[in-house]
Amino acid sequence: MRVFVVTVLVSLLSWAAQAGEYNLTVDRVTIDAGEFTKQGIGYNGSSPGPVLRFKEGEEVTINVTNNLDVSTSIHWHGLILPFQMDGVPGISYDGIAPGETFTYRFPIVQSGTYWFHSHSGFQEPEGAFGAIIIEPEGREPFRFDREYVVQLTDKHPHTGDRILRNLKMSADYYNRQQQTVGDFFADAQSQGFWSALQDRLMWGDMRMMKADIEDVQGFVGMINGKSPEQNWTGLFEPGERIRLRFINSSAMTYFDVRIPGLEMTVVEADGNYVQPVSVDEFRIGVAETYDVIVRPREDRAYTIFAESMGRSGYARGTLATAEGMTAEVPELRPAPLLTMADMGGHSGMDHSGMAMGDMDMAAMESDGMSGTDGAMAMDHGSMNGDMSGQMGGSMAMDHAAMGHAMPEADDNPFYADGSGLIPEAANGGRFLAYTDLRAQRPLYEDREPTREIELRLTGNMERYIWSINGVKYEDAEPIRLQYGERVRFKFVNETMMTHPMHLHGMWSILDVGQDKWNPIKHVISVAPATTVYMETEVDAPGEWAFHCHLSYHAASGMFRKVIVEGGPDSVADGDAEAVDGQEGEA
Amino acid sequence: MTSMSLKVLVSAAVLSVSAGAYAAGSHSGGHHAGEGDHASDGHHSAGNIGRAGNPEDVTRTIDITMYDNYYEPEVIDVNQGETVRFRITNQGALVHEFNIGTAAMHRSHQAEMMMMVEHGVLKGDHIDHDMMNMDMGNGHTMKHDDPNSALLEPGQSAEVIWTFNEQANLEFACNVPGHYQAGMSGEFDI
Amino acid sequence: MIRQMAATSWLALLMAAPLATAQAAVSEQEDTQSARYFWGVQFEEFEYRYSDDDEELGVWKADAFYGTDEFKLRWLSNGEYAIEEQAYEQLENQLVGQMPVSDFFDVKAGVRIDTPEGPDRTYAVLGVTGLAPQWFEVDANLYVSKDGDTSAELDAEYELLITNYWILVASLDATVAFSEDREIGVGKGLVSTETGLKLGYDLIDRSFSPYFGVVHERKYGDTADFAEAGGGSTEDWFAVVGARLSF
Repeated sequence: MRVFVVTVLVSLLSWAAQAGEYNLTVDRVTIDAGEFTKQGIGYNGSSPGPVLRFKEGEEVTINVTNNLDVSTSIHWHGLILPFQMDGVPGISYDGIAPGETFTYRFPIVQSGTYWFHSHSGFQEPEGAFGAIIIEPEGREPFRFDREYVVQLTDKHPHTGDRILRNLKMSADYYNRQQQTVGDFFADAQSQGFWSALQDRLMWGDMRMMKADIEDVQGFVGMINGKSPEQNWTGLFEPGERIRLRFINSSAMTYFDVRIPGLEMTVVEADGNYVQPVSVDEFRIGVAETYDVIVRPREDRAYTIFAESMGRSGYARGTLATAEGMTAEVPELRPAPLLTMADMGGHSGMDHSGMAMGDMDMAAMESDGMSGTDGAMAMDHGSMNGDMSGQMGGSMAMDHAAMGHAMPEADDNPFYADGSGLIPEAANGGRFLAYTDLRAQRPLYEDREPTREIELRLTGNMERYIWSINGVKYEDAEPIRLQYGERVRFKFVNETMMTHPMHLHGMWSILDVGQDKWNPIKHVISVAPATTVYMETEVDAPGEWAFHCHLSYHAASGMFRKVIVEGGPDSVADGDAEAVDGQEGEA
Repeated sequence: MTSMSLKVLVSAAVLSVSAGAYAAGSHSGGHHAGEGDHASDGHHSAGNIGRAGNPEDVTRTIDITMYDNYYEPEVIDVNQGETVRFRITNQGALVHEFNIGTAAMHRSHQAEMMMMVEHGVLKGDHIDHDMMNMDMGNGHTMKHDDPNSALLEPGQSAEVIWTFNEQANLEFACNVPGHYQAGMSGEFDI
Repeated sequence: MIRQMAATSWLALLMAAPLATAQAAVSEQEDTQSARYFWGVQFEEFEYRYSDDDEELGVWKADAFYGTDEFKLRWLSNGEYAIEEQAYEQLENQLVGQMPVSDFFDVKAGVRIDTPEGPDRTYAVLGVTGLAPQWFEVDANLYVSKDGDTSAELDAEYELLITNYWILVASLDATVAFSEDREIGVGKGLVSTETGLKLGYDLIDRSFSPYFGVVHERKYGDTADFAEAGGGSTEDWFAVVGARLSF
């Protein structure tokens, strides 16, 4: 029934047949990004590394041999495991010294699409990542005939150290989308000279840039290690259902993904099933994963087009019925610009307060309104309109118009009201919003959180310093949680950047106002000037990392250690190898 | 039909049943899909897909279980002219539908279902009946009471009696948004 | 001796920088989260000037730093070399410690040593540097010489983006002396201004940006009188060609 056609990468894995035991070497590799070739780091001789295919319920042993001359590590992104196996140097263990082999051993207690990457220095941006597929024990809540991993990255010609150094010297070092004199005259023409000037002065007064959406431009978007020209291609037979496992392994880049001519049905987010939702386009934050089902019926090629959120670059691949076929590659859409609404924490002006006020919608949904139809509450206005107009007419509900008519963007509470970042589908259709995500199978009983922890996402763009509650990692006390509690995290983004926040070891239940159907994720993207809530069942003892997954934000201080106190294994075992006790209870 | 399933039907007031078996009672005023007026009903005008069956003509009963988000079985053999009683049970955790139609019919029905979701009628695991039965003007509601389908909450079961014609490419499908695209459909082999 | 050292050491630095970059091809940091040390070398100006009375100058304005977000050690070097005379008209080196005082400004303190042709000077330096509203880069310094002579210098710069690669840089440098230092030709009051307008193009990232433009230098008040008395000019126009460099 299910034909598992393996990606190009998987073909490298003859060893994957020995279920349970895996070997990875960490190697220096050459990465050919088309426009440039650079030295990087890979696994088993390539970057991205192999696709690791685990089975839910199995116990895996992974021997990682470090062939580099520097220390390395592997973090199993999104996997629920004993903390000594989590692979974060300085928190879970000491890392893997040059020439050494470290043996990871842990049970696989979940299924879905995940990935792994180095948590040392800038090895991940330099290529040290790969995909993880975990087959479920039971039947999946959707059907597919083929599957492909679509692992996105933003390969940059500069080394990670150099990029951060450049950003520290000049935060706009890589920004080539800044407003120019020409833009000013264009604005002056369209909105009037004084208005354009006032606008410039307002931003200049804050010393903020509207165009500050992508810190690091100049990358080549890649799919499974292939540049747009190298064109990664997945084959299909017309009529087949194809499961595409999108993984954003970028250092810094959000992608807006579409496949012109195909509707995509999102069935999994961050490895957890979601109630299927069909969209024309979706935005994938750094380190997020989305599984979609597509069903191309024609004997032709389709382009997988992933534009960066700031439109400075793109990744491209192809679904085709034969090797070598291509479809039209769309033009990049114009770059978005931030608006005053995205400036929440920066200007002392009134509008920032306004933006924040509006954003408490998210809070209202779950707090004030006893949940179930928070989202509906926002719609009432437009719904009444619909009812009298469209539906009153001739009952026959105008089918064609309805499906795609929802102006999703305007009432998406995960962007500031009036934000310049609110995405729109290229074909005018439906763009996936966090509010569309519903858990297919709630993992936990829905219960009241025991307490709320506020995490203000803070930073200083000009100095390229990023922090939480104004404090950088090295100056911060760890966040202490008690085993067994359910913590509600309140993210308040006071910066004008979008931060994909990643808590290790425990699930992040994103509050979309749907109570027990709230989706279960491992990365929560928090847009500028918004407040977003997530809840975590504190069910994993030990010490964990919690950070912004943008590589250069994490390295600049937007990072915390989380200590879970109490629980079945409250005495942390210093020996990373001795996890047998853990596994029994995990 | 057993008294058990009748009770479910009455209490839920959402089940779609053969119009022949249950007249007026559970139907919204005016919008009534009887045997004769298929053609006038926008949703079912796609041609010769068959018609609501008479319980007396039933020659066979087929059990269909709905899970998240698939059917068992996924392929059903029926004969031309045969009247089949489908006993449908929703064993999933979400609302699911069993709907007989062509792919095109399902597509247009999905648009309606999308509307039900957007208007809060259809929640993940239950149906807001008050809202569904609410008069939206002109005596119309979002009621789901066509004879070719059953919309069930978790744990519910229902029956659909259907007489098949020669129409090829007939599918049974769940048109809850996203479910069809995720693969919740099956084929009739006629 | 000191002069030679200063002159050659920035050359050495220039050569060493790319080497260091190459060595760091793979991040040596053992984790992703710990505090880091950074370094940087920049030549805001590295240019050839040709004046309206046929004077030729080699000019640089460079700085190098090493440190953290909280504290940096910075070496600033500034020089004007008269090519025909084979002499430094100006040669100034500063070593300062620098730390943030606000979101956009740093304070710095250290020592400045001037070793041009003629008498040398040593100053204590106290300065503020940062980004003012409307994107003006500002650098203001107060100098106190060993002999107690005080002066202040204000340096402001604005980058106008013609495009994202063609950048017009306007700069103004003004010096004020609070006491006279006759020996080096400085009179009390406004001493001099240097105004520049340069159009550059970012050829390789922001690490190599060739430019051309004009620079206007003028001396004022007593300083101008001292210059005239010494047979020098009080006002010069220069055509310049050079490059911004950053490593």
